[in-house]
Amino acid sequence: MLSIRDLHVEVEGRPILKGLTLEVRAGEVHALMGPNGAGKSTLAAVLAGREGYEVTGGEILFEGKNLLELSPEERSYAGLFLAFQYPVEIPGVSMVQFLRAALNAHRAAAGLDPIEPPDLMRHLREKAALLKLDPSFLSRSVNEGFSGGERKKAEIFQMAVLNPKLAILDETDSGLDIDALRIVSDAVNALRSPERAFLLITHYYRILQHVKPDFVHILAGGRIVRSGGPELALELEEKGYEQLIGA
Amino acid sequence: MSTPISASLSLEEGAAHLTALLRDSARMDDFPLPLQELWQAQAAQAHLQQLFTELRHKEDWKYTPVDFFRLPWALGQVELLGPSSFESALAPAERVAPSETLPALSSFPTPASPWEALVMGASLRAHYRVSKQGHVSWNFAGKGGLTTQLLTVSLEPHAEGEVWLNPQGEGFMIVRVHLHLSFGAQARLYLPTYLKAPNTYLYIILSAEQEAESRLEGYDLTAAVSWKRLEVKVRLRGKGAVAHLLGAARVGLGESMDYAIRVEHAAPHTESNQLFKSLVYPEGRSTFQGRIFVHRQAQKTNAYQSHKALLWDRKAVAYSRPQLEIFADDVRCTHGVTTGFMEGEILTYLRTRGIPEAQARQLLAQAFLEEVIGRVPHEGLQEAARRWIEA
Ligand SMILES: Nc1ncnc2c1ncn2[C@@H]1O[C@H](COP(=O)(O)OP(=O)(O)OP(=O)(O)O)[C@@H](O)[C@H]1O
Ligand SMILES: [Mg+2]
Repeated sequence: MLSIRDLHVEVEGRPILKGLTLEVRAGEVHALMGPNGAGKSTLAAVLAGREGYEVTGGEILFEGKNLLELSPEERSYAGLFLAFQYPVEIPGVSMVQFLRAALNAHRAAAGLDPIEPPDLMRHLREKAALLKLDPSFLSRSVNEGFSGGERKKAEIFQMAVLNPKLAILDETDSGLDIDALRIVSDAVNALRSPERAFLLITHYYRILQHVKPDFVHILAGGRIVRSGGPELALELEEKGYEQLIGA
Repeated sequence: MSTPISASLSLEEGAAHLTALLRDSARMDDFPLPLQELWQAQAAQAHLQQLFTELRHKEDWKYTPVDFFRLPWALGQVELLGPSSFESALAPAERVAPSETLPALSSFPTPASPWEALVMGASLRAHYRVSKQGHVSWNFAGKGGLTTQLLTVSLEPHAEGEVWLNPQGEGFMIVRVHLHLSFGAQARLYLPTYLKAPNTYLYIILSAEQEAESRLEGYDLTAAVSWKRLEVKVRLRGKGAVAHLLGAARVGLGESMDYAIRVEHAAPHTESNQLFKSLVYPEGRSTFQGRIFVHRQAQKTNAYQSHKALLWDRKAVAYSRPQLEIFADDVRCTHGVTTGFMEGEILTYLRTRGIPEAQARQLLAQAFLEEVIGRVPHEGLQEAARRWIEA
């Protein structure tokens, strides 16, 4: 589904990713861990198509297509979703307006007519219930005045609504209380399927107890320095980066 | 003593007459002179041109593009139209007919600018009196050239009135509106502007005198006009008077929107609220000057003012100047001015959800102005305003 080969990325002339290679197949859950500043969010940003990141080498194929040639919206239509580490506030735009625009853009890209308002509301309410979000949340402005945890839940809610093939969750577990973590994990598990893949960026073993990854990778110094099964996360939890990889 | 102006007036006499009138507001009643004749006196016209050009150096005109003043403006015609499309829901019986007699010009606030003095001689003048309930609709179309209009509306005690000012057509239209709200009167004033023609210049000079317990709500909704200036002077002179002034402007490519708002609290327990938002496209210009003046005797005043400008990109310009002058000690007064660009980060966020940039900008633009549009108590106008933003 996603193959990243020898990816080199610079931010403001500074190399951040230096030869990163990663293969994610449909149905898999990959956990990506690594010390602060290692470049995890940089990778997520490059995948989603955020500006300000210069790819100086390597390639990214998503379902066989050159991802780097696609605009952020085309990547979204292709089935890629990024749950942001720091979701922005969109003043005055309600969650319903926002997701109506997003869903209809997806439908237009697929040659479909806009969604009927009752169908939209049914779809949104169903996904809000999945995340145990109060229905009033749908009429609030996107992320405006949301607590840190609410923002993270809102990202997963959007993911559930947009139904992507590959979801990248950038530290969605950070800042969630214990109940919220369980709700978010359950929502992710509910969406696991043989057609869908996840890339979970996290610092904590905790979420991986709820959402069992197939692979765990450690990113340090701009490349993946170790890969393994779930036991790698446990080992990391015990030893820390310094002892594990000498970082 | 009044000097009649006639076609036989020499150029010098015409200029001198105008100069004297502009200088000497005590003689305003002498001013119902036929503007047509005055205008034909070329020296007077040259004199006016100079006065207008000098305005540029005044503080509250400094940031407003006024190059179009210099065009050789000829006096134009303005035509009164039937009810606007916004009024279709209203029964004709509710329409207030204009009064037979015009109020004495001396009952107007002293002209504060040559413009105001000029409009005193407007060819189109009307006075409306709302005694219980009704709406006044002033729908007009400029036929090109410079046109002036003078409209006065007085609301009797406890009257409830709606006032619509609907400009159409083209040219340089100067409209002077004076409202008087008697004790307990309530007025809603709607100022929609959507002039598609190029070279449309609209200058609205609005003043309101409010007696005790009266309430004024003003809604300005502006899009598609080359240049518009809304000058508002509200005086809350009776205890408990309230004025709420809201405006939403879509300032398109090369357009200019200028709000010059002054609210004066002259009595205790008065309340005012100003909320103006301008969405500025590339090469558009938004100017906001908002002034709150609280007299010494106006204790327990609540006064709020907020102006926000959202700029499309670096080629859009916004200028804001809030001013507070407070001479009472027991008042609550806040003002806020924000100017920001459409944020790249927000646009990217929307794009990662599949919303193309043009549509993402549209969404942000609508959301920005919706704070005002959503508060307009007239559905038809709300819908129209939303369409104007999309255009
Ligand atoms: N837009 C940017 N401008 C300047 N520097 C940046 C930018 N984005 C990332 N960087 C730098 O790139 C490096 C990698 O940052 P990144 O956010 O990818 O780290 P991370 O692995 O996600 O860290 P964390 O675990 O703290 O979230 C950091 O040194 C960061 O300062
Ligand atoms: Mg990060």
